[in-house]
Amino acid sequence: MSILSTLLQFFIFYEIYRVLYHGAEQVDGITLKAVTTNFVLSLGLGAVFSPNDYFLPGKISDGSISTELLRPISFKGRMIAENVGNSLFDLIFKFMPVLAVALLTTGMSAPAGATELLLFVISAILGFGVLFSISFAIQMTSFWLINVWSITTIKNVFINVLSGSMIPLWFMPEGIRKVLDFTPFASIYFTPVQIYLGQLSFRETAEKCIIQIVWIVVIYAVGNVLWKKGQQKLVVQGG
Amino acid sequence: MINFEDVSKYNISKVTLSVPKGEVVGLIGTSGSGKTTLIKLACGLLAPESGKVWTLGKDPMRYRQRYASDISTFIAGIPLLDREDTVLQGFETISAVYRMPKDIFKHRYTELSERLGFSELSGRRVKDLSLGQKMRAELGAAFIYEPKLVLLDEPNVGLDENGKSALCDIIKEISSRGTAVLLTSHDMASVSRVCSRFAILDAGKLIFCGSMNNLQSRFMPINTITVKLGGSIPDLDDLPIRRFSLNGDTLTLEYASNHITAAEIMALLLKQTEIREISIHKPDLEQLILQKGGRK
Repeated sequence: MSILSTLLQFFIFYEIYRVLYHGAEQVDGITLKAVTTNFVLSLGLGAVFSPNDYFLPGKISDGSISTELLRPISFKGRMIAENVGNSLFDLIFKFMPVLAVALLTTGMSAPAGATELLLFVISAILGFGVLFSISFAIQMTSFWLINVWSITTIKNVFINVLSGSMIPLWFMPEGIRKVLDFTPFASIYFTPVQIYLGQLSFRETAEKCIIQIVWIVVIYAVGNVLWKKGQQKLVVQGG
Repeated sequence: MINFEDVSKYNISKVTLSVPKGEVVGLIGTSGSGKTTLIKLACGLLAPESGKVWTLGKDPMRYRQRYASDISTFIAGIPLLDREDTVLQGFETISAVYRMPKDIFKHRYTELSERLGFSELSGRRVKDLSLGQKMRAELGAAFIYEPKLVLLDEPNVGLDENGKSALCDIIKEISSRGTAVLLTSHDMASVSRVCSRFAILDAGKLIFCGSMNNLQSRFMPINTITVKLGGSIPDLDDLPIRRFSLNGDTLTLEYASNHITAAEIMALLLKQTEIREISIHKPDLEQLILQKGGRK
């Protein structure tokens, strides 16, 4: 089902922008081809990068967090392993079909070069790291919140709107764009897409990747503090 | 294997208790008396407010993860198996997490699934099982790796008689191999079948700790002897008994077991008269708890 929904989402966005372009070669210096590529990559990666936001909340609500804490393995490690495993599955069964269909039916750009393709892969993995860290930190709030559905939904709206997977960030006003460049949201999908299209110089690529790494470290560290506090709450107040 | 020293937490107050190697200690008490709290303190899921808990000689709060393979904890209501997995998948996950060698796992799984009666459920999803079926599989999960200490909170919930006796056999077997067991239960009958020592909690206080015989002489000194007389009515004035009643030829005596033994009473009766039938009744644990509960 999610293969279909990803494809459907892609075609809806593609058609909207095709109509908006109205046969024009480019708008604001951005070609339809680049926009299409943005959607294929960001929606495709979005299908792959789908951290299970309810992994910890589910375990807290049914009590099996206790079971996890009593196991001889790290719970955080298990969370990461579970997400990476699911993502590898999605890479083959969700990303690949979307890519194939998009290549056959629409005009999508090829990567700017072999180096760019390699850097794109690295940056995409870092983007996954940013997305996972956000999900990790948000999940930790379930130690205190009875229902994490609303905070998770708010998080996902922020990601959808500000990451460029709905509105390519090229079309954002210059001021907002400058701010967004430094948020974790832009570094999830938009940084890899820009690298793929060869829009960034080597220096900019390095800068953007450093921003990604900084966000991973910062957000994960915040999540980790919450994780420690949450466990403390669990052993002091009980589940 | 476990030592509680003056431990207080929630309504638990100043509990001192130890569970030695190879012993099965039964923790008995009414709902809300703090049984689960003690189990959670022992495995490091709860921190004591005061006092010290030593599990396998270490502070379980700090060494919870390092000694995880040496301890198995089963708390009724807290799943050990993922509900989306099939029973076998759930066990395979556990065997991977606890790094069990494949052949040992297979052997142990076959044995436990047959004894606890869930071998036919291997391919079913945990969420599709009935309460009793789920309990059997979950208990199996608690015994699959061989820890030095097993903590069982209400392991009898949802089990039928076959399940209960299979559980008793497994507990006896692992304790004979040196594993210490601390279990809580409301089911007095099976607790007395399997435990070598008892600890009774009443509103967070440990009111007794010792063997079944100690328990009976301390808490239930009132035993009853019923005899059918074959001769004259004996003179009971010299017997230190609490009460007697005569109904036709049936004589009922209530006596305090810490004052006089059944043998002494019988010897005195037989001197004076003939006896055709005799039965001795000792109150059981269940009644004791009910009395305790009623007294509050």
